[in-house]
Amino acid sequence: MLIPKRVKHRKQHHPRRRGMAKGGTSLAFGDYGIQAIEGHYVTNRQIESARIAMTRHIKRGGKVWINIYPDRPLTKKPAETRMGSGKGSPEWWIANVKPGRVMFELSGVPEPIAREALRRAMHKLPMKCKFVSREGGEF
Amino acid sequence: MSEVKIKAESRTEFGKGAARRIRRADKVPAVLYGHGAEPIHLTLPGHDAMMALKNANALFSVQMEGKEQLALAKEIQRDPIRGFVKHVDLIQVRRGEKVTVDVPVYVVGEAASDALVVTEQTTISIDAEATHIPESIEVSVEGLEIGSQVLAKDLQLPAGSSLHVDEDMLIVNAVAAPTAEQLEAELAEAEAEAGVEREEAEAVGAEPAAEPAAEAAAPAEGESAESQE
Repeated sequence: MLIPKRVKHRKQHHPRRRGMAKGGTSLAFGDYGIQAIEGHYVTNRQIESARIAMTRHIKRGGKVWINIYPDRPLTKKPAETRMGSGKGSPEWWIANVKPGRVMFELSGVPEPIAREALRRAMHKLPMKCKFVSREGGEF
Repeated sequence: MSEVKIKAESRTEFGKGAARRIRRADKVPAVLYGHGAEPIHLTLPGHDAMMALKNANALFSVQMEGKEQLALAKEIQRDPIRGFVKHVDLIQVRRGEKVTVDVPVYVVGEAASDALVVTEQTTISIDAEATHIPESIEVSVEGLEIGSQVLAKDLQLPAGSSLHVDEDMLIVNAVAAPTAEQLEAELAEAEAEAGVEREEAEAVGAEPAAEPAAEAAAPAEGESAESQE
């Protein structure tokens, strides 16, 4: 599972949710991809789950790229704890994904297989996404 | 590639307010520059510009105030989600002039079984005449064996075009696909770590016991990663 080896600060503020993706909005490596059309925090577990779903479907045929990295920690206070007494302990690692970001890319498989693999992966992600392709014209 | 004739209007008001008004009228703000000339601010018809820009390196014949100027799209700004064109930078070119452009590379054919074809470069920089820019370059990987590579010098460029990049640049690489056992072992390990239940296990009504355990494991990993500071 993706997790930073070392961080400068254990507990950080929540990342900003506003705005659109500034870069990474087109396919860079593969022929097909998943593009976020909403902003959301994506945990390392969701990324891994999506990767497993698409790899299971394409079997041995293709290559997968993950363009996002969960480098922001989120904290949580234990259940039934009174407020105060400092910030909770790190609970999740998340990538702050903005609308327009291409999160996963895939190549080396025919388009119908790529579509189905990425559709399965989209179900593991918390936001609305769309399928994009290099030959689709837009990219 | 044939020229796309496009009628442009001169643009006199600038800034985001004016640009938004232009876009609302189904037009695209653009700028034309090059050859040491002063930049000319233009407005292009939205649908025509969008259709022309579907081809990479489309050659425009911009008609404005009775004059005609050949131009290439140098930079295209698009809406990241809906894909419509927000602004175009056009660079002036002359007939017969050599220009450097990025041309898409497409892989055709079936490689040898067990070979995984990875396209390392999806575009390649070439020098070509402005009026004879290829739309794309096809690379045949028919029967490509594991360990074989297609380099830039192996590409078949159209007459009048030459490479602008190092001729030893790797374009397509054929690597060995992981075996079924390797893939299964890697996925099983990843699933165990992530606490993902297989569909077969769910189908027979197995208890989702791994999920809470993995939930508890996640923060511990986060802590351990940070404690290495």
